[in-house]
Amino acid sequence: METIHNAPNVEYDDLAPSSRSLEDESPFATMMASFDEAADQLGLDPDLYALLRKPDREIQVSVPTAMDDGTLAILEGWRVQHNAGLGPYFGPLRLQPTLRVDELRALAGWMTWKCAVLNIPFGGAAGGIRMSSKSHSKVEIERAVRRYVSNLLSDIGPERDIFSSDLATDEQVMAWVMDTVSMHARHTENAVVCGKPLNLGGTHGNADAIAQGMRRIVRHALSHAGLPQQGARIAIQGAGRRGGNLAQLLAEDGHKIVALSDYHGGVWNEAGLDVASCVRARVEHGDLRRSKSRFEPVTQDELFTRPCDVIVPCAVANVIHLRNARTIQCQLIVEGAHAAVSRRADRILNERGIHVVPDILATGGGAVVNYFEWVQNRAGYSWQPKVVQQRLEHFMDEAWAEVHGLATEHDARLRMAAHMVAVRRVAQADRLRGLYA
Amino acid sequence: MSQATTVPVPSAAANEFNPFESMARNFNVAAEHLGLEEGLREVLRRPDRELTVAIPVVMDDGKLQVFTGYRVQHNFSRGPCKGGIRYAPDVNLDEVRALSAWMTWKCAVVDVPFGGGKGGVICDPRKLSQGELERITRRYTAGIMDILGPDRDVPAPDVNTNEQTMAWLMDTYSMHVRRTTTAVVTGKPIALGGSRGRREATGRGVMLVCREAIKKLGLRPENSRVVVQGSGNVGGIGAELMHREGYKIVSISDQYGAIHDEKGLDIPAVMAHLKKTGKLAGFPGVRELTSAEALELPCEVLVPAATENQITSKNAERIKARLIIEGANGPTTAPADAILEKKGVVVVPDILANAGGVTVSYFEWVQDRMGYFWTEERVNNSLEQIMVKSFQDVDAVATKYKVSMRIAAYILSVDRVASVYKLRGVFA
Repeated sequence: METIHNAPNVEYDDLAPSSRSLEDESPFATMMASFDEAADQLGLDPDLYALLRKPDREIQVSVPTAMDDGTLAILEGWRVQHNAGLGPYFGPLRLQPTLRVDELRALAGWMTWKCAVLNIPFGGAAGGIRMSSKSHSKVEIERAVRRYVSNLLSDIGPERDIFSSDLATDEQVMAWVMDTVSMHARHTENAVVCGKPLNLGGTHGNADAIAQGMRRIVRHALSHAGLPQQGARIAIQGAGRRGGNLAQLLAEDGHKIVALSDYHGGVWNEAGLDVASCVRARVEHGDLRRSKSRFEPVTQDELFTRPCDVIVPCAVANVIHLRNARTIQCQLIVEGAHAAVSRRADRILNERGIHVVPDILATGGGAVVNYFEWVQNRAGYSWQPKVVQQRLEHFMDEAWAEVHGLATEHDARLRMAAHMVAVRRVAQADRLRGLYA
Repeated sequence: MSQATTVPVPSAAANEFNPFESMARNFNVAAEHLGLEEGLREVLRRPDRELTVAIPVVMDDGKLQVFTGYRVQHNFSRGPCKGGIRYAPDVNLDEVRALSAWMTWKCAVVDVPFGGGKGGVICDPRKLSQGELERITRRYTAGIMDILGPDRDVPAPDVNTNEQTMAWLMDTYSMHVRRTTTAVVTGKPIALGGSRGRREATGRGVMLVCREAIKKLGLRPENSRVVVQGSGNVGGIGAELMHREGYKIVSISDQYGAIHDEKGLDIPAVMAHLKKTGKLAGFPGVRELTSAEALELPCEVLVPAATENQITSKNAERIKARLIIEGANGPTTAPADAILEKKGVVVVPDILANAGGVTVSYFEWVQDRMGYFWTEERVNNSLEQIMVKSFQDVDAVATKYKVSMRIAAYILSVDRVASVYKLRGVFA
């Protein structure tokens, strides 16, 4: 299989407000509502939950950056640290022209829950600089990133707060962060960022971490939904680092990938697409439909309403919504993008008996492999690709078992059970540590 | 105040029932065998550092009460100090000193890279609310903050302290250093960086050294009758694991008494009964007797895993076991030791037999430092490797010096600490 390493970062844009939902349900509202419900089901002490809804700390910094034309731009940056009950803060660093602090707050909270579901010893954080990576030169971006990092030096570090790559923050940006922190610390401090290039302390298995994790979850979910471990008809929305890599892995496992899609639209083949050829067309020409595989073109909407066994939406939020939830004809949906299923659609699918594996569990492979990168940096010892793979599978298996167990115990749907696992774990840690005064 | 050595003030010239005096004697015998120079002996007798702190706490009734806390670091040549913190009304500096030295020897026997430490607060936890206990713990931690740390001194639970106490300690330390530092303490809940397999670690260690010891005596589990004294974390879990290995557990006891069945007890059923009723007595189809009587039952293996001073000059003559595995600290007195040795009974000493606990504490510290957590299987396998190797190390020394396993364990540990001390030299 040909792992896709770099794809346009559009897939990661799904938490941005640009992906306006059809029903005006923001992905954050969807997420927080689930957590409120989970806390309620767990009978969590309201005081404790009130504490968990607020970030521990928010830092706003001004980022004065010299432009190439000699003028000075004063950019704005933030870092929101949500909860450190389980360990150091950990979360995305993004460069985004529409960055808003309330969005970072929600994202930081979301990272806390995500780490907790996967049993990663981190708390959640999120931050970034309000700037467009497209309208600035590479040097300007470098100066802004270095200044932003300098302003946050006393609040970040391998044991305080760790950055992961996100919107417009590729390997190069993460290397600048690492270098800036290291120069100030007077020693190489690579464990402060995840998603570094391999020769600067990055880890094997980073490129397709999310897809590998999803493959494992799909396997468990198929059994859960009573579907066969081979020959299931799977429609995937997306064809990049998540969708494309996942399609190749599932095809290797003997499933029929009946649909893939990209920016231009979808391709469908009832007998199963030639996945390798589709992915190559997308990488080489930026268009799936230039593939030599047999397919009929479909729209994004058709992709969701044609009959199949499994749908895996790997693109943006709210693609399964109030208007198509009743016409979907599959037995299992595995969310490959944040909040791909809207809150109201989730209820309808539940009534219809369609199983939904939530984003927070399904897409956790990325965070797990980021965590592995931090472990390897701290030990100063790199794991072989096979070791990374085995340990990733172990983490996904354990997380699935825990969520599935709680779902059975409380007769709850998987999304609720995942959120309950997360809230319970963080609340337990906070309760044990007590209130420091 | 007494002199700062690890030998407590002797109340009588030679008190059979003072386990710390026995430890000091064992140390002297070991030093003699090793031909240690007097200066070095003095270094190893004295704690490296002692800290006494006042702990002012606002009680629930609004009044201020000042408690006293200690932390003694006996020897940090081999690495950070390791040892429990106990809360009890009778905590005193002499006892804390002696226990800290005990930890130095125990860590050295199993060759984990720690020195010995011990701490305590004079208080009666039964009379304190959770809130008061939390405030005592946090203030005590802040008081000894300067000598604590993953690379300095790593406390653990002991008498009247538990997972919750360790969580408070970890949180207080973390808030002071501005980062989550789980490795500053062991015995934490799994949710906060604890290790899998820790609860049963000591009992598992007992089972493992017993397996090595019976091999040496030419016995097999199926034809070994075992008497276990104690049914808690060490005795109870040890009995369950040994039962699973095929031993015939003929007697087990709790604080109220013992039960006996010559044909062998159904241990899982016995433990279920204990869990349900809170005592062993009343288990159907067995004979009930006192736990002192149980020690003298005919058996191959005796596992005293309850309290100190159980096998003394008064009953040692009547012990019928061929092998004693000391699950508790100091269950055999020195005069009893001499009698047993004459009778040819093999005694696997406490600092080896119950070191499974500190070994898994070490694993917890290792896991916290790398931030990556082992499966229970991996913990158990690593524990097995260390316990088996330690048993063989002690056994080799016993053969070489022609001494009991107890003296051999002290020779081994004193030698390990002394040689490191000599290599590092006297820092000035």
